[in-house]
Amino acid sequence: MKSIEAVRIAVRSIRSHRLRSALTILGLVIGIASVVVFATFGASVEAEIVGDIEGSSASNVYVFATPTDDEDGGFDRVVQPAFTERDVGALASIEGVATAIPRGAVDANSLTHDGDTVARQRVTATTPETFDEGRIVAGRGFRSGTEEAVLNERAARTFEGNVSVGDRLTLSLAGNRTHELRVVGIVNGTEGGLPVSDFAEGSRVYVPVDPFYRTVVESPSIGVRQRAYPQVTVVTDPTRTEATRTAVATYLREESDARRLVPAGTEPTARTSGDFAARISSVIDRITRFVTGVAVIGLVVGAIGIANIMLVSVTERTREIGVMKAVGARNRDVLVLFLVESGLLGVVGAILALPVGVAVGYAATRYAEVGFTLAPGWMAAAVGVGVAVGVLAGLYPAWRAARVDPIDALRYE
Amino acid sequence: MTASSDAAAADVVTLTDVRKTYDVGGTVEALAGVSLSLPAGSYTAVMGPSGSGKSTLLNLIGALDTPTAGQVVVADEEVSVASERARAELRGTEIGFVFQTFNLLARLTAVENVGLPLVFAGVPRAERRERARELLAEVGLGDRTDHHPTELSGGQRQRVAIARALVADPALVLADEPTGNVDTETGSRVLDVFDRLHAAGNTVLLVTHERHVAERAERIVHVRDGELERIEDLDGGGR
Repeated sequence: MKSIEAVRIAVRSIRSHRLRSALTILGLVIGIASVVVFATFGASVEAEIVGDIEGSSASNVYVFATPTDDEDGGFDRVVQPAFTERDVGALASIEGVATAIPRGAVDANSLTHDGDTVARQRVTATTPETFDEGRIVAGRGFRSGTEEAVLNERAARTFEGNVSVGDRLTLSLAGNRTHELRVVGIVNGTEGGLPVSDFAEGSRVYVPVDPFYRTVVESPSIGVRQRAYPQVTVVTDPTRTEATRTAVATYLREESDARRLVPAGTEPTARTSGDFAARISSVIDRITRFVTGVAVIGLVVGAIGIANIMLVSVTERTREIGVMKAVGARNRDVLVLFLVESGLLGVVGAILALPVGVAVGYAATRYAEVGFTLAPGWMAAAVGVGVAVGVLAGLYPAWRAARVDPIDALRYE
Repeated sequence: MTASSDAAAADVVTLTDVRKTYDVGGTVEALAGVSLSLPAGSYTAVMGPSGSGKSTLLNLIGALDTPTAGQVVVADEEVSVASERARAELRGTEIGFVFQTFNLLARLTAVENVGLPLVFAGVPRAERRERARELLAEVGLGDRTDHHPTELSGGQRQRVAIARALVADPALVLADEPTGNVDTETGSRVLDVFDRLHAAGNTVLLVTHERHVAERAERIVHVRDGELERIEDLDGGGR
């Protein structure tokens, strides 16, 4: 028997039981579509988050302290001012490094704008290089050694009257020192010490390290008291991030003040945004796999549906099988006929499930407000599994059909 | 519509001391040493009461079953030792079955039912249809080719079944009570078709329990208790 004939006969058989076939296919569609939906949604969320991280900070190497025995892959930050001015200078002079931006917190009490006072625990002290052109929405970055401030848009909105460039703010620091700040720029985003800081969408007030940041320690290597920061961002060329990270790590391990200043059980670490992305990817991946695994249960139910209906079909068609054998069908022909039929149910289910899954996945990403990303690997797998499920589920029924004794079958009523 | 064998003297079927026992809680001997041959172009009827072994005989000659002992040779193929596959091919190409209950597939049209054996023989669709149409025309159903079995009368269905039995140009046509499910008038017309097949040179074996049906053949083989009781030659058989 030619394969085309097997397909033709199988199609007829499926069409002769429209409702039954449709319901069987529906079961499979739900199973496959669920897999596609969860896989698509997972891939979309992952792409969105990883894209955010990598897009915003591909050229950065983040330097901070982590516990030595951190099993979490080195993302558990220990906020201690261990990186001295000497370290910052040395990091900035590593080959290929554009700049090294220290970042630290200045303890504050409140901020006052136009008679409106808002409590504020801290402001961020950093250097002017932190402001990349693309982030400034109004004005400019501050200058070092001045009492200038830059706010992000969210911070600017925390006051009754929106803060704009040129406004004055009164900053009350711990110890009852007050400073008159002139707002020179507004930036968007929440640029912080780590690429993931963006997700917090907090309000930020940036002031120059000089004169505001006053945390000082004695540099163990040169014996001079100088400013020390909990975190440094090393900016390099995006194509050289890995090389720079290696150089930075070597410096931190062998020469830095930080290696001696960090508390016992911690060590200075260098991370790229790629590390963060990979870390987040792996977490999301695991979640996606788990949820998709749950959806696979649906697929199994679909498979059982096919197996069930094929078994019914074999019993119903016993006489037909007998006739076919009497007119020359070999056991193999009968086996193939039934396998093709169940395989076809699988194929049709998979083909219908794909657009359904993608559509529902798309709706889910719209609802969650993340960009839509297809997961072609998962989609191919879902279709493959659908067909495999059809064939596997048909295997036993087809084997039963092939073994039907034509003499009994022809007598079967 | 001619049998494949060219030598008139050659036997299409040879049974040598064939035994068939079934194990149904005890041993039941359905055939107890039967020897019989069907010459090419012959028209033979098998008669006997129910339980006499005539169905078993038909199943063995039809390569649907294998004997417990003895030899069954059909169209030069030894059925007793043939593989399942070889027996299926033998049924598809050398044997044409006509059943009491027609056994047409309800989903298929007349022309598709007739062409079914050729599907398993790997004959292309167009060729199958052409051959099936020819045969339907020969049994007087040229205008019913695209009807489904449910749209045909009993006699018409049996004629479709006969056309199906002939489609692969078999060496032997086996009929099991072909008139059992139709009225006498229709049955008579069905038997006319067998007469024509015989006249055209086909080898026909017909199982029946009705004397007047058996009398259409050249000879009647009487079976009783799993043994050949006697062979009755009829003058003017094959009218």
